[in-house]
Amino acid sequence: MKNAAVASLLVIFAIPLLIAVAELPPFGDPDAPIHTHISARYIEQGVEEAGAENLVTGVLLNYRGFDTFGEVTVIFTALAAALAVLLTSGGVQYFQEDRPPAPPKGADESERPPTPVSPVVLFVVRLLAPFIGIFAAFVILHGHVTPGGGFQGGAILGAMFIVLTIVLGAGKVRPRLPEPLARWLQGAAPLSFVLIGALGVAFTGFYLGFPPEHSLHLVRELMMVVLEIGIGVGGAAIFARIFLAMEAD
Amino acid sequence: MISYEGIINAIVVVLVGFGAFFFLVGTIGLVRLPDFYSRTHAATKCDTLGAGSILLALAVFNGLEPSSVKMIALAALVLLSSPTSGHALARAAHRTGLDYWRLDKE
Repeated sequence: MKNAAVASLLVIFAIPLLIAVAELPPFGDPDAPIHTHISARYIEQGVEEAGAENLVTGVLLNYRGFDTFGEVTVIFTALAAALAVLLTSGGVQYFQEDRPPAPPKGADESERPPTPVSPVVLFVVRLLAPFIGIFAAFVILHGHVTPGGGFQGGAILGAMFIVLTIVLGAGKVRPRLPEPLARWLQGAAPLSFVLIGALGVAFTGFYLGFPPEHSLHLVRELMMVVLEIGIGVGGAAIFARIFLAMEAD
Repeated sequence: MISYEGIINAIVVVLVGFGAFFFLVGTIGLVRLPDFYSRTHAATKCDTLGAGSILLALAVFNGLEPSSVKMIALAALVLLSSPTSGHALARAAHRTGLDYWRLDKE
């Protein structure tokens, strides 16, 4: 009975959605509105209007800033959901400081007696980790000029954190990211959007409005860089937190 | 008459040929070799020597430019990371007791 109700509800919601999808212009149709108005406007005036030489960043942060705001909030919510599942399924003692140390280290975690991590891997990871960090910062900060940006750079930064956790062990990495600081960093992306949105109100009267005047060019770029850093750091902190929670399981 | 460009092109051809050869051999090895260890051994050659020398060839072909430095940095990264991952894979397999192929086991 309950299943039948759910199924009929799904069908009722699905029918109008399917009709709406059928009404969309065919994919790749040159006469679709997106190709006649929107793309042309972005390509012709995007650099001047949005203030980012990289069109993708201009669209992402300026034209569709609200969309990206929602996106980073979704990522933050995903963290909350993942932690809710991981921590309630047996790992509540995770927050206690006195949990037994010595998690299995190295590439061979399934091994019964924990084996020491390979010196080759240890050396190479220690050698490369700073370069990975520099590259992540480069990708984040160059997002409005070259391909890249907060999401990509954040992924690289999170990967650096994960590889360090695997090789050095969570016991050495976790103190570098103390819990009170990590909580703020995990919310960095939505927080930076709120901050820049409020700045936009101060400058233009619109939430997330970037000042269009040419004289405020530097302010506009600075706002974008702050957004990129927020997205990157927030994304990396969220990756790291989910990984640490899974590792603790 | 040997020109500067001729020498550069010759170096590039040699390096690209070297890289392509190792990619070919590594791919054949990946498909044809009998067990995990030897396949890892073959696959690591592709990245290290194949990609490394092709990237070097691109840098030589490009000449003295900032992007050449990036290519050399990429080659160095590949040279470091690919053997390490191969080593980590083989070590993990060995530690978990994966048996290796022998002639008399057939």
